[in-house]
Amino acid sequence: MARSPSLHVAVIGAGIVGAAAAHFLAAAGARVTLLDASGPAAGATGASDGAVSVASKKPGPMMDLARHARAFYGSCEADGLLRGLFHRRSTFLVARTPLEAKLVAEHGVDLAAAGERVLDVDRPTLLNRIPGLGDGVCFALEIPDDGHALGYEITQRLLQRSSVTVRRNTHVSEIVMRAGQAVGVAVRGEMLAADAVLVAAGIGSVGLLGLGDILIPRKGQMVVTDRAAAGRPAIDGHLMAASYLAAKRGIVRDNAHIGLVIDPLVTGQFLIGGSREDHRSDQTTDAVTISAILRDALDLYPPLRERRVLRTFAGVRTASRDGLPIIGPHPHFGGVTVATGFEGDGICLGPFMGACAARMILGEAPGVDLSLLAPQRFAAVEALA
Amino acid sequence: MSEQAMTELPVLVVGGGPAGVAAAVTLAEASLRVLLIEQRDRLGGAIHRQPAPGAPQIWRGPARHRRNWTELTSRLERVAARIELRTSSVFLGVDGAGRFLFEDCRVSQVFARRVRAAIVAVGAIERIRPFEGWELPGVMSAGGAQILLKETGRPPEGPIVVAGSGPLLLAVAAQLARAGNPPLAVLERGNPWRRPKALASLMTAGPQLAEAAAYGTVLALKRVPYRIESEVLGVTETGQGLTIRVRLGKVERLLQARHLLVHDGLEPNRIGIPLPAPEADVPVFLAGDGREIHGADAAMLDGQRAAAAVLASLGRTAPVAALETALGKARAFQRDLAEALRSPPTLPSPETMICRCEGRRYADFTALPADASAREIRLMGRFGLGACQARFCGPMLAELRGEPLSSASPPRWPLRPVSLAALANFSMDQTET
Amino acid sequence: MNPCFYWIDRPVFFRPGETIAAALLRAGIADLGAEGSTVRGRVFCGIGACQACVVAVAGEGAVEACLTPARPGMRLAPPPSLGQRHE
Repeated sequence: MARSPSLHVAVIGAGIVGAAAAHFLAAAGARVTLLDASGPAAGATGASDGAVSVASKKPGPMMDLARHARAFYGSCEADGLLRGLFHRRSTFLVARTPLEAKLVAEHGVDLAAAGERVLDVDRPTLLNRIPGLGDGVCFALEIPDDGHALGYEITQRLLQRSSVTVRRNTHVSEIVMRAGQAVGVAVRGEMLAADAVLVAAGIGSVGLLGLGDILIPRKGQMVVTDRAAAGRPAIDGHLMAASYLAAKRGIVRDNAHIGLVIDPLVTGQFLIGGSREDHRSDQTTDAVTISAILRDALDLYPPLRERRVLRTFAGVRTASRDGLPIIGPHPHFGGVTVATGFEGDGICLGPFMGACAARMILGEAPGVDLSLLAPQRFAAVEALA
Repeated sequence: MSEQAMTELPVLVVGGGPAGVAAAVTLAEASLRVLLIEQRDRLGGAIHRQPAPGAPQIWRGPARHRRNWTELTSRLERVAARIELRTSSVFLGVDGAGRFLFEDCRVSQVFARRVRAAIVAVGAIERIRPFEGWELPGVMSAGGAQILLKETGRPPEGPIVVAGSGPLLLAVAAQLARAGNPPLAVLERGNPWRRPKALASLMTAGPQLAEAAAYGTVLALKRVPYRIESEVLGVTETGQGLTIRVRLGKVERLLQARHLLVHDGLEPNRIGIPLPAPEADVPVFLAGDGREIHGADAAMLDGQRAAAAVLASLGRTAPVAALETALGKARAFQRDLAEALRSPPTLPSPETMICRCEGRRYADFTALPADASAREIRLMGRFGLGACQARFCGPMLAELRGEPLSSASPPRWPLRPVSLAALANFSMDQTET
Repeated sequence: MNPCFYWIDRPVFFRPGETIAAALLRAGIADLGAEGSTVRGRVFCGIGACQACVVAVAGEGAVEACLTPARPGMRLAPPPSLGQRHE
């Protein structure tokens, strides 16, 4: 598709990915309408921790992609677009059993192989960095080049700094096709004409594209505490338990597994998560799961006993069947691009993936090889034709 | 759970004020088991707050309130065997699995209890119309000051100004005067003389009128000026005290005081409270000022009404007609009162604090898109996400937007910040498997 | 003599049965804020709703001063300062 000042793109989904794509499309001169059934950052983007973390990624394409995505945050922060919203901070991968120590060590090797800086931290150094850390922590690695950004802040900034038209409370019922080519989207019984359509609607993409057996919702319950420090992160890094790595590396597959992270927010509060509950798309939280998360968190970082829980909430991650995001042109719907299935990695990958999607829609090369993430890898999509 | 086991479950009553205690007593007198939860270490609610042992007893308003309460507590003693009273325990709401959750602050543990029905009677919260400086130390809600006065028997030291709207201003000012520290002035925003119809209707309310007259007499004797169409425009700190910029009618003045007590009416404390659901498996009812602002006189009656509704939901007959008539009168009185004191809305200055918990100002609110959803106001604006969970900024924003800031869905728990250690120490109901 | 707790380092005497808020107010302590914080703590609503009077109890956590009975020897401080000295 040639770049044209009259190109009108309908972007469905105002989460971090949709907002980023809309921003970069508009920056390139396209006219963009961003539609959301609720509003900006209303879904997983607004209900997630803010880890811009390579440390947590599965070795392979996800780890490489996360390194690109984190670097992209760095350049957007430097050029002013995301100034003040992206903060560098360390991730500490921590183990509490010999088996976990082995897993963390293996993961460290994989990270180093991908080009990531990995630092060994002995217990005295660790206690110096994170005073009060639990007695059970027997091994840890520091990944010093990770970062932090809040999904809703990024989304808001991307939209503020663009000419995108945002339509809130606007449910898109279908993509209108004519002769195999998208010509618009149906909104409240009317058609909004568009030259191209980007579907970045998370679990809402299922209904639009018939991806029911490819995308699954994975609920995560989380906790926000009161402030442990005034206006700065209370500890010097993001604590990621081996249980979280195990889930990311596909070692545990049981439903309702807890992958523990303790995320020190810039407000001085802690965000503690989270459960991984497959096929759950409700946003309720329950005392049994929340108390289990908190017991695990107290074991890892006992000073939390002095905190109060302000809120519990749940977000719904959208995961693909094979664990990889789905980004690229729809194999059969001309003019339709898909960007979803980011699971718990949307904040980290979002701005970069949005920028890639924008380039694809503009007919340009995305700059990195995304062929492994293309929608046509799923036979079920082929069957849609 | 078997039918028999279900009938052995208690009915939950949250709140140990007049509405909650009346509900608990009515249920227990009908032979039901009751679980009564109160956040403080003793019953009484805001209205019947007892002085700490050894504190001077001060004049605490009308004798009929004390008579009613004494009578109710003696009924409570007669049925105490059927009431499990948990004081120093906070209702945290209902979780996604339908568990009723509580924090026992004495043993630092969150516990769940299965109940067959619930009555929530958690009273009112005060409405505050924000002005610059309302968040400063030295500014208290008039109701909060009244509770502390009842507890300590001593008024705060130094000059006091009482401002806002509503009959509570009169009551607090009179109680402060009787306790030895008459306020510099009472500033009422409204002007009932401009609403003769409502005023005339109020004149038919016997006990409340007598109460107001008694307070008015005290203020007159102590020469406390009571100014209508007067309000606080802003407050700043100066040395040990406050400089309060006020409007008296059409004139602006500066007053110096140590304490400013503010209050702009009451509203039901409904943030995060489960919606009333009389048809649900575990029916939920609201009672007292937590349902609708009826005032202290009607709160006991409304507790009885809620208890009767629970009994009816269990297939027991319970006459409520007489209660409804009395409640109708209380409702009409409150409506007339609100109308008599109604004043036009005032827009806060950009620097005015709206969300005190997170330090968010009116300018932060107006910077949001005009069509921002309630979720965006929370998420992007960071309003209503602080420790008070929108109990104060929520009503302020509702008034400024002209529509309520709809509550976060699904209903969230905890309703109040809860000790992390206590929640980690969660204990399930013994009957849950 | 009445028992006392400590607000930062200052002893505050209370009557048994009294809340922390009542004792602080009787002692003339209205400002419950940490130095340098933009919004300072204070007793406001008296019913645990506004959360403005939350104080940190050393070794325990934060509580609402208006709901919590005072206990002898408690060491109280503005809340965020608690997290700055975990050890």
